Amino acid sequence: MMENAWLIPLFPLLSFLILLLFGKRLKEASAYVGILLTLASLVFSILVLFERFSEPTYSTKFDWLTIGDLHLTAGFEVNQLNALMLFIVSLVSFLVHTYSKGYMNGDERFPVFYAYLGLFTFAMLGLVISPNLLQTYIFWELVGVGSFLLIGFYYYKEEAKAAAKKAFIMTRIGDVGLFIGMILLFWETKSFEYSEIFAAVDAGAVSGTMITLTAILIFIGAVGKSGQFPLHTWLPDAMEGPTPVSALIHAATMVAAGVYLVAALFPLFAASKTALLTIAVIGAFTAIFAASIGLVQTDIKRVLAYSTVSQLGYMMLALGSAGYVAGVFHLMTHAFFKALLFLAAGSVIHAVHTQNIEEMGGLWKKLKLTGPLFLIGTLAISGVPGLSGFFSKDEILVAAWEGGHPILFFLALIAAFMTAFYMFRLFFLVFTGEARSEQKHVHESPNNMTYPMILLGVLAVIAGYVNTPWFGSFLGDWLVDGNPALGHGHVEGPIWIMIAATVVSLAGIYFAYLMYRKRSIARNTISGTGDTLHTILLNKYYVDEFYQLTVVAFTKGLSYFLRFIDVFLVEGLVKGVVGIVQGLGRTGSKMQTGQVQTYGAVAFFSLALLVVIFALTGGYLR
Amino acid sequence: MSSVPASAFLALALILFCIGLYGALTKRNTVIVLISIELMLNAVNINLVTFSKYGIAPSITGQVFALFAISVAAAEAAVGLAILISLYRTRKTVNIDEMDTMKN
Amino acid sequence: MNLQSTLSILVFSPLLGIIVLAFLPKQSEKLIKVVGFLATIPALLIALAAYLHFQWGKDLADFAVSKAWIQFRGMGGVPEPFFSVNYELALSGFQLVLVVLTAVVATLSALAAAKFVKKEWKGYFMLFLLLEIGMLGVFTAENLILFFIFFEITLIPTFFLIGKWGYFEKEKAAYSFLIYNGLGSAVLLIVIMILFAKTGTTNIEMLAQIMADPSAPLSGDLKLGLLISLLIAFGVKLPIFPLHSWMLKVHVQAPPSVVMIHSGILLKIGAYGLIRFGMGIFPEQFKTLSILIAILGVINLLYGAFLAFIQTDFKMVLAYSSISHMGIVLIGLAAMNEAGVQGAIFQVISHGLISALLFFLVGVLYERTDTSLIGNLGGIAKGMPIAAGFLLAGAMASLGLPGMSGFVSEFMAFLGLFKELPWIAAVGTIGIIMTAAYLLRAVLGMTYGKSHREFTGVLDLKGVELIPVGVLMLLIVVIGVFPSVLSSPLQTTLETIMLGIGG
Repeated sequence: MMENAWLIPLFPLLSFLILLLFGKRLKEASAYVGILLTLASLVFSILVLFERFSEPTYSTKFDWLTIGDLHLTAGFEVNQLNALMLFIVSLVSFLVHTYSKGYMNGDERFPVFYAYLGLFTFAMLGLVISPNLLQTYIFWELVGVGSFLLIGFYYYKEEAKAAAKKAFIMTRIGDVGLFIGMILLFWETKSFEYSEIFAAVDAGAVSGTMITLTAILIFIGAVGKSGQFPLHTWLPDAMEGPTPVSALIHAATMVAAGVYLVAALFPLFAASKTALLTIAVIGAFTAIFAASIGLVQTDIKRVLAYSTVSQLGYMMLALGSAGYVAGVFHLMTHAFFKALLFLAAGSVIHAVHTQNIEEMGGLWKKLKLTGPLFLIGTLAISGVPGLSGFFSKDEILVAAWEGGHPILFFLALIAAFMTAFYMFRLFFLVFTGEARSEQKHVHESPNNMTYPMILLGVLAVIAGYVNTPWFGSFLGDWLVDGNPALGHGHVEGPIWIMIAATVVSLAGIYFAYLMYRKRSIARNTISGTGDTLHTILLNKYYVDEFYQLTVVAFTKGLSYFLRFIDVFLVEGLVKGVVGIVQGLGRTGSKMQTGQVQTYGAVAFFSLALLVVIFALTGGYLR
Repeated sequence: MSSVPASAFLALALILFCIGLYGALTKRNTVIVLISIELMLNAVNINLVTFSKYGIAPSITGQVFALFAISVAAAEAAVGLAILISLYRTRKTVNIDEMDTMKN
Repeated sequence: MNLQSTLSILVFSPLLGIIVLAFLPKQSEKLIKVVGFLATIPALLIALAAYLHFQWGKDLADFAVSKAWIQFRGMGGVPEPFFSVNYELALSGFQLVLVVLTAVVATLSALAAAKFVKKEWKGYFMLFLLLEIGMLGVFTAENLILFFIFFEITLIPTFFLIGKWGYFEKEKAAYSFLIYNGLGSAVLLIVIMILFAKTGTTNIEMLAQIMADPSAPLSGDLKLGLLISLLIAFGVKLPIFPLHSWMLKVHVQAPPSVVMIHSGILLKIGAYGLIRFGMGIFPEQFKTLSILIAILGVINLLYGAFLAFIQTDFKMVLAYSSISHMGIVLIGLAAMNEAGVQGAIFQVISHGLISALLFFLVGVLYERTDTSLIGNLGGIAKGMPIAAGFLLAGAMASLGLPGMSGFVSEFMAFLGLFKELPWIAAVGTIGIIMTAAYLLRAVLGMTYGKSHREFTGVLDLKGVELIPVGVLMLLIVVIGVFPSVLSSPLQTTLETIMLGIGG
């Protein structure tokens, strides 16, 4: 089966091509093309995953591009991480395909939506089976385009247009880091292949500075894709896309690509302490930074978006603290519960036609299925014991503590408190109390929307049990099997960390309960007098404005300066040359009096002059 | 005959040529200019004949060439005078200063 | 099989069309268009056949032809010709891909012309076919004199095509074109004459051999001077900053079908000349100048990108983007290694296809809406989804999206330069971001968002119009996904160049 793993990305590609060419004729039937072909991917992925449990890594490659003596290859590889990612991506993609049939129903560009979904799924699946950096980069960019197209799906909305553009350009800034890092690494190791790069790093063929430099450059790529500070601002804006897209791309798969990249290149990062520390610091900072913004946002999808940024920060923190298993584990559980949360949010939006949580309320009774499912997701992400998020978050906290970063550990703990708080704030505001605006025809979503949520709900509960301190760390042992560079399958942490995490998350929930359910604490307790803190948070620390004032303004200014040069200097130079030539011509033409005798005289005396010169120089002119 | 040296002929030709050149470049009357050009041509003819007699390899070629030049000069004078007459008819002048249509 | 006359037939096949057109009455519009289009087909078929010939493992040297042509005899009736210029055509892998590109773009441009040209079709197509002869000749000529003659043949028809069929300021653009390129070719002629006088041959291969010989009758300084002159001559064509201002006018004023040719092929003659003559004949001196060329390349790349970022006319955006993309060619060349040079060649082909595609779309857009100002358009994805889709895809190709040809070339050019001059290359990567910024700003400004005006009537691409965009897009994707279709013919050329460099 594993030798046929290359087929997995091709099914969605086929879906993309079919829908691109015949979408107009297929109309509503487009959905079935997309769903069936992603189902095929899912089936293959499950088979591959199960086969990988018992068999060794499979990889193959062929020549893609020849440059003189250099042979760049393409191919695919099924190792533990790849097999797991294949499963996650194709599962979420399949569920989102199914869900979208209901959610996007009636949209006039329905086939186009499925075509874009196919393109994205193809790119994402291609990304996770790439055996070399170059191929990773290729799919990395394609994933970006898929995301760009889907964010800008409502192309007639100015906000969607701006968000799509922003997403593409901001991630591209990161991509350039990856691009440079990849090329520098190539000239150091003479290969793009992961295995050969690791071998070269292992053998000490690459200098320490170079490892740190390339690792950090590659990490910049991950920062862009995974919405880490300071390139995070595109991710919340990306919520302009349709909600299923947010679930697929901006929660479960693409944004996790940065984490995947760091995980896939883990032996390289592990070789540089500086690089690891950078990752850990950025991750921890992003986790708390985004969580604090999430505290005050009023758009249901933006709260979830900031929570995604924050959770991705957690994963980075884990990887940066050498907690390979913790990072990947959280990636997996997060994919399930965050996709669930987004799909449930989509279901809410579908029912009430607004995204502003201030206008919702009391939906628990009206959305009998969505409500409990949303609660499951909320409990999972808050790290309540027993659900998947609890186990993975615990692993991360242990990794941060054991990795020797007590400050980062406490930052993560505070972020965990905030997470629990803002997620339950969201839950209480949306589902409890009374409706705060007029809501007509609120009804539960159709089956093809609820079934995917139910499946994700189940996974959000149970997915944690594949790797627990109580029942054994099956996932961890499997992930690091045969690869000592990745660290241990399970790190035993002190029991107080688990208790602290539980206490912190329950405290967050209780606090939210007091503030938004019982209303025994006023909502402006923390910000106190004056609303400065609240305003800063609401405006996301003014990062966007800061970029507008610095980077964008600088670019524009430089452009106008260069246009000044172009118009006045370059064009002026040309005009000057033209002027000189014209002036010479005018002078010459003034000398033409029309008097034959003058011409004759000039001709004669010139000839005489030439003869004199000829005589003086003695013959030939030398 | 042979007592007259070649340099005397050449000097004559030179004087003649210079008179012709002076006339052609300075006189305002076009008829005088044409006559001066004839003078220059004849100076050249004298040179041709002189070198055909006193040159390193004396031969008849120079004299034949002189005859050619005379006949061509005659034709040229005819054409030149014809142009001059037609100009006179349109411009009512033979003053060479006023013949500056080449300027524009 | 004797294939020696194939290249002559290839180059001069459009002549048949010119002759037929000469006998057609001026008014028979349809017939003229059909003949004009069909006359480009033989060259296309021969070019494709030559490509298949290569891919089937046969030797491209079969095509080489050399016949005595002009001979200057020495004084006193010495029997041996003193100087001789031969009629020499040949096809190396590099030339082959350029010939195929030319033939494809020319055919598609003829198709576009049938659509966009509104008057005097007869004159248009006769000049156009003459231009095609010139272009095909430039890429197959094997000696400098012949190259120069074909080079000049491309100038004159282009001048008239711009000056007569262009937009409002067409005359100005045409003169600008002629003066700059005339100066460029004058410099080129001087270089050719000095080489001819000093070595007695104009055959490119022989010149390269003579130059490689240390006992050559040229001093190092003279060679450097000649290379700098070549850099100026072809720098006008490419164009290299600050010799670019003519090209902006041409791109804005010339009719779309001519800009397809101009941006797609004619600019590439500059790159071809730099690689073939600059690098081929003066490899050592090229190495001396490589830092300068790298800096010029980065300047081109960034200068074009930053200026494209603030243009209000989409044509100007594309014009500056051409300058920017030619910077990548220079970057690749400056690397002086396999990756860089191959990247430069890829960029030549890739940009030829992409700019032909984009300028065709601009032509369509202008025809439908009477504007190419970004501010006047907006939301056209609603009325013309297919055109908008291709526009977006073209922009993606142009900004170097993997899976399309632009990425492969950009990647290789930077791969090459990072090995030799990593700092300059690192500065150049800013261009990658800027390219995305200005292209998305322009394309999204036109296709996404709210419509600023109501456009009525049938807007979208339809019928014949789909052929050029479809073919170009297909080629762009094929090269992007299977770059070996392009890289395999280039390997021998690369080996030769690398041998000259000694690296």
